[in-house]
Amino acid sequence: MKPRVAFFDFASCEGCQLNVINLEEKILDLISIVDVVTFREAMTERTDEYDIAFIEGSINRPMDEEKLKKIRANAKVLVALGACAHTGGVNKLRNQWPVENVKKEVYGDADIEGNPLFDAFQTKAVDECVKVDFYIPGCPIDRNEFARMVTQIAMGRTPKLPTYPVCVECKKNENICVFEYGEFCLGPITRAGCDAICPTNGEGCDGCRGYLDDPKMNAAKDVMLKYGITLDMMMKKLNMYNYKKEGY
Amino acid sequence: MKALSKQKWLEFIDRMIKEDAGEVIGVKAKGSRFHFSPLDAAADLRLDYDITLLPPKKELLPTCESLLEFDISQPFDVQVKKEDQKKILVGVHPYDMVAINMMDRIYLDTHVDEHYEIRRNNTTIIVSDILNIPDRAFCGSLGTHVVDTGYDLLVTDLGDTVVIAVGTDKGTELLDKYASPRDATDSEKGDVENLRETTGSSYTRKMADDYNWSEVLKENYEHPIWDENARKCLSCGSCTLVCPTCVCYDVEDEMELNLVKGKRTRTWDGCLLKDFTLVGSGETFRESPMERYRHRYYRKGLYLPQRFGFVACVGCGRCATQCLPDIADPLEVMNALAASSMEEKKELPIPEVEVQGIKEELLLPVSATIMQKHKMNDLETLYTLKLDSGKKLEYEPGQFVEVSIFGIGEAPISISSSPGAETFELLIRRLGDLTTAIERLMPGDKVGIRGPFGNGFDTDELEGNNMLYIGGGCGLAPLRSIINYSLDNRKDFKDVTILYGCKDPDSQLFHSDLDRWEKMEGVDLFTAVDSCPDGQCWDGNTGVITTLIPKAKFDPKDTKVIIVGPPIMYKFVIRDIKALGVPDENIIVSLERRMKCGVGKCGHCQINGVYVCLEGPVFNYKDIKELPEAL
Repeated sequence: MKPRVAFFDFASCEGCQLNVINLEEKILDLISIVDVVTFREAMTERTDEYDIAFIEGSINRPMDEEKLKKIRANAKVLVALGACAHTGGVNKLRNQWPVENVKKEVYGDADIEGNPLFDAFQTKAVDECVKVDFYIPGCPIDRNEFARMVTQIAMGRTPKLPTYPVCVECKKNENICVFEYGEFCLGPITRAGCDAICPTNGEGCDGCRGYLDDPKMNAAKDVMLKYGITLDMMMKKLNMYNYKKEGY
Repeated sequence: MKALSKQKWLEFIDRMIKEDAGEVIGVKAKGSRFHFSPLDAAADLRLDYDITLLPPKKELLPTCESLLEFDISQPFDVQVKKEDQKKILVGVHPYDMVAINMMDRIYLDTHVDEHYEIRRNNTTIIVSDILNIPDRAFCGSLGTHVVDTGYDLLVTDLGDTVVIAVGTDKGTELLDKYASPRDATDSEKGDVENLRETTGSSYTRKMADDYNWSEVLKENYEHPIWDENARKCLSCGSCTLVCPTCVCYDVEDEMELNLVKGKRTRTWDGCLLKDFTLVGSGETFRESPMERYRHRYYRKGLYLPQRFGFVACVGCGRCATQCLPDIADPLEVMNALAASSMEEKKELPIPEVEVQGIKEELLLPVSATIMQKHKMNDLETLYTLKLDSGKKLEYEPGQFVEVSIFGIGEAPISISSSPGAETFELLIRRLGDLTTAIERLMPGDKVGIRGPFGNGFDTDELEGNNMLYIGGGCGLAPLRSIINYSLDNRKDFKDVTILYGCKDPDSQLFHSDLDRWEKMEGVDLFTAVDSCPDGQCWDGNTGVITTLIPKAKFDPKDTKVIIVGPPIMYKFVIRDIKALGVPDENIIVSLERRMKCGVGKCGHCQINGVYVCLEGPVFNYKDIKELPEAL
């Protein structure tokens, strides 16, 4: 029997699911190896019977966390899809301020007290709530990487993410290092797998795929200082997709 | 020497492009820098460039190439993918030509890499003399601003005239077909000589004096510079990727989304990256950034010179330019080391082993059928295999094969049977994706086999001796091949003693062999387990393998000792048997590393300068005891 696949979304722009749909004709190959049983963005049918759950989005409310826990209980394999699910993504930027201040800023004096839809807590990545088996990082995900990961899961392989930085792919693409023309880039500490899409198009890497397991943070900071990047700029960039209360 | 006016030179290039001489790839501008890229018109060619971002190695060893294509809906359907497109590289600088000559030695040495060979033979190289020197280059000190071999044509742009030296018949043909050059005048020849001389003396960055890289490195293995620089290192691998002489690669299987067809691809890899030496058991052998940082210099300055006779640096300066923390400049490091050589010399020798070149396709597995499958314990299974060609696998005890399942990957596995039978046996521990997939296979299923590879046990030298075999855990698998060989040829060996230790009773391997060895006359067998957990049963020796050594009755002065086990075991076993008086040359070990290609190209299994897949996995201890990365 083909594995049954379900897609779920939490706080996100749903761009990662859109990138799955963007597989276009490859979608036909995809559905020849898996049964897509729940995918709100692409179909109306839905079920709680599935083997593989793809989760897009970060977790922001008790009701979301409950729903996620149910998905985890139903799924044999749970995959965090995209930066929001993987690291908390840009949603985590609001963890810089107390939740009450954030609510006040967004909703002003509106009466949201006691309404579960607005009962936000500090943003969590999916793995801060439940066990995640595999990650497909990126903002948005790279649809070729998605296809590769799905084939590997379907073949019984453990999908592996690169353990080397974006610089590797950037060099293979024969780019001029963006530092050379005054941009600044998190490529040296960010996990590869995106084929260095941003530096290849002239933009410094924002680290949307998360940092390496052992990023050489001190060496990277030295480099940024050498290229005249201020601590403030550096922190803004480091926090964008990978905000950590304790800093770096 | 020939010559063309500038106009005629441009016509020559344009004719090659238009008349389909092959894909014409030349140096073009890319933003403020340069790169090799297909030429649409001669006007785009920039012979005045200083340096290209990537070296022309990318045309001979692409960043990613397909090696094999397979269809897994069939029992065994695989084809070699070969690129046969003709290419003409225009504007290669002499230092890059020197690097290509080195690459030829590596890829066409002993075992010929056919993918590289075909591409190389299909490539015509037009070298161009250097007109502009990049900031960080130091070719003048290495003499790589000129080159006298390897090119098909060598051109010098003198402004109004382009002078052309012919290197090969291929070059002559190209020139005759697409241009009508006149002979160069003496004055033009003189101008070329002057230009080269001026170039050579124009490098402001120089080796501090005329030191020998290899000798300097031998004296500085523990120099503080390795640690100081590695602290600033991003471990990003840029220095290796942009280097014209860094040619290591990794191999990966990829499936199409329909899970029917797939391909095996080869991509650039680099020894600065963390998982370069990672093996199936999860161990990495150059774990610290310092060791990886240091390895790059030793590979270039000592290990490749030992093997091929050349320093594998051409002074192009790409690594220095592209290293963000600016710690990758070989000139700065070598000058610093030469100025403060401080240690006793470490020779770091490579043992001499005669390697027979493989005639067959190096990277194409042949099909083999699983005849029997015998589960030994939860993790380990013994497979009996037979080649589908009907030929016997010819191997020596101690050699290994590369086992493939298409779509999953390939891994080195040591052969654990004694040679001679129609079939061969592999003990496989379930560790990663490949070994898990193999465990799902049943008798009748097929796997791919490459090899055998490596240097096995020297049976001629071992015959006539007393033998002490010391095996730990899975190490019994390769050890069993030589144990059973010596027992199959019992009269050729004197006393045989076998010590075997494993983690716990359930992980003990090869019970029927152990029973047989125990009962054989003239064979002493001692076994132990590290511990016996609750629920398992054991009434024998408990303790690590070294606790068995005092029990063995053997003449330390007159016994060959063969040790195979997990990496941690060697140090302690060797210490104890040396204390009993076993001379170094009587100790033989078999070592595990990441033998990815099996044929001395991919670079992953290197222990200092040694390739485990060529000089090993079996080594005489005396040959490797001085290698810091070995034990």
